[in-house]
Amino acid sequence: MYRLFLAIRYLLTRPINLLGMAGITLSVWALIVVVSLFSGFLAVVERHVHEAGADIVVSALPAWTRWSTLAPALADDPNVAATAPRLLHYGLLLRPGHRPPPAPLPGRGALHGGDQPFLFLMGIDAAQEAQVTGFAAWVRDAEIPAELRAADVAAPLAMRDGVPTVLIGLERMQREGLRPGDAVLLTTARLVEDEAGQKHPSKVQVPLRVAGAYKTAHSGFDGNNVFVDIAVLRQHLHDNRTEFVQEVAVRAHDATTLADTADRLQRALTRVTERNNTSYGVVQTWREKNAQFLGSVQHQRGLLKIVLVVIMVVAAFLMLATLSMMVTEKISDIGILTAMGGTPTGVTMVFLACGLVITFVGVLVGTVTGIVTAVYLEEVRQAVRWATGIDLFPVDVYNLARVPCTIDPLWLLQVAGMAMATGFVVSALPVLRAARHDPLVSLRGI
Amino acid sequence: MNAPVLQAAAVHKHYRIGKQEIPVLRGIDLSVQPGESVALLGASGAGKSTLLHVLGLLDPPTTGEVRYDGVPVHGLPIGERARLRHRHVGFVFQFYHLIPELTALQNVLLARMMAVSALGYWGQRKAAKAAAIAMLEQVGLGARLHHRPSELSGGERQRVAIARALLAEPRVILADEPTGNLDSHTAAGVVELMFGIQRDRGLALVLVTHDERLAQRCHRIVRLADGVVVS
Ligand SMILES: Nc1ncnc2c1ncn2[C@@H]1O[C@H](COP(=O)(O)OP(=O)(O)O)[C@@H](O)[C@H]1O
Ligand SMILES: [Mg+2]
Repeated sequence: MYRLFLAIRYLLTRPINLLGMAGITLSVWALIVVVSLFSGFLAVVERHVHEAGADIVVSALPAWTRWSTLAPALADDPNVAATAPRLLHYGLLLRPGHRPPPAPLPGRGALHGGDQPFLFLMGIDAAQEAQVTGFAAWVRDAEIPAELRAADVAAPLAMRDGVPTVLIGLERMQREGLRPGDAVLLTTARLVEDEAGQKHPSKVQVPLRVAGAYKTAHSGFDGNNVFVDIAVLRQHLHDNRTEFVQEVAVRAHDATTLADTADRLQRALTRVTERNNTSYGVVQTWREKNAQFLGSVQHQRGLLKIVLVVIMVVAAFLMLATLSMMVTEKISDIGILTAMGGTPTGVTMVFLACGLVITFVGVLVGTVTGIVTAVYLEEVRQAVRWATGIDLFPVDVYNLARVPCTIDPLWLLQVAGMAMATGFVVSALPVLRAARHDPLVSLRGI
Repeated sequence: MNAPVLQAAAVHKHYRIGKQEIPVLRGIDLSVQPGESVALLGASGAGKSTLLHVLGLLDPPTTGEVRYDGVPVHGLPIGERARLRHRHVGFVFQFYHLIPELTALQNVLLARMMAVSALGYWGQRKAAKAAAIAMLEQVGLGARLHHRPSELSGGERQRVAIARALLAEPRVILADEPTGNLDSHTAAGVVELMFGIQRDRGLALVLVTHDERLAQRCHRIVRLADGVVVS
């Protein structure tokens, strides 16, 4: 009992020890808040990326792939609910008679480069695509104003005045002032073989009409991709080969076993595309397909963890300094406490108790305030913005109502455990010195 | 016949500095009966403090035995020795050794906390506090309960130290020049107090002092010179 009592009295008469405690509190708080924010952000990014794509994508298909043989082979799998063929290309969409908007300066563009003029063309079959992705919902999104909506959302890529149409991301439509029905000119190129067998790029221009806007949760996708009917790309780029397909989007019945499904589909794909003992084509789950992007967010979270752990180490040094000072000052009390009936080692535990009290209170306060801050992060953001004008997190860029935040109980345990372990080590070091002190030295007087 | 409450038998104590052995105590025999007061006189460096530490289980003898109620104690396990230090003997030192962060009351209460767990103490905290207050009132400090040592005079500090030594109700008081740091008037008060309590409670007292007049008030005087008892 005397240890805890003395430890608390020692600490209360030495406010400098609050420094070490504040350091521990601060590092625990920061580790919880920042990592929770990043975990929440990662969860949001994952959801957005998944919602803007198919569960599984089969890509890099060789030229001899035939949709009529590939589709049944994929549909054979028990977990495949639907498949949709895609052709992919790239190009510029310009409005005849209008000056094209200037390309954004490097580093000044939208977050995902979604305002650059160069676009990816996705040639799809609207009906089949709607079976596989959220396509049907993208063209009906509540945020699309009525005047920018496709005329017939049930068949959004239907011809207009006999001209094929293109679906453009909502933000791009608004930025460039496009309206459904506007004429645009798709400019791109394809490789053509001359008599000598040499391949040369050859300009391809396709007049299109704007069908309307679409919107997924992933603004980076919307900014960079436009949809046209698969037949348009077939006709202008692939010599009307109706069986030709470059990518297949797949929806699974059970989204929890995508990795296994992808493995099975890879084997099925190999059977269809194999030639000269070489297999072609890649099957990727949405997670694998976006691994680099998702990995970069994870990587940033990891880096932040390291930085914040360094704060904890600094706090530990601070605590070590104040505790060492206190032990130097109070080492003479070991004598009288031993005389009063303590064992010499038992008495030195008073100093361990000091360190543990600091650590425990620091971790407790840091954890509680960390959780509270994480839960009310949106309110904190608004308060900071109101007070300083600084926006800590661009909520609207990610289309969110609140700052994302995921509090992982395991992470809380890890942080608390790490801080406790650090505090224990730091508390134990000065105790080792106290343990070498002969209690009789202080009792003999000066 | 009653066993002596405290007994030293052929106690030798050597300190080793490097290769050199310094004999401090060279065969001390001493018996203290319950209720007896013994004055320990001797020149500075005679080994009085060392003997007191050996008697009080703070320092082991090189050879020889210390017995409490006839039982040898230095061979006991460390925890048992600590318990006996707490129960059997109470120390009073020249330099008081109060803990400056604690009030007079807390310094005395600490003696009660030494031997119990936090939970055990919680159960008896009211009784412990009452006992500590009574103890401080007995030494004449009923009005100074909440003063820190730095706010007390030397005599008052020594009274707190005496109250602290007595709270665990030991059978023996080991006092090492308790008045060595006090002026004669204050010292007289502290001495009266100590002898009064010793008589009332029937405690054994071993009092180390330089003061012949003070020594005369004890039942017995033991003189120490060069590590042996000379009379
Ligand atoms: N730890 C030690 N190491 C070596 N010598 C010591 C130690 N402690 C005490 N001594 C010596 O023992 C002798 C007796 O000391 P002490 O018991 O304090 O004397 P007194 O209390 O009678 O003045 C002194 O000469 C002192 O130098
Ligand atoms: Mg001495």
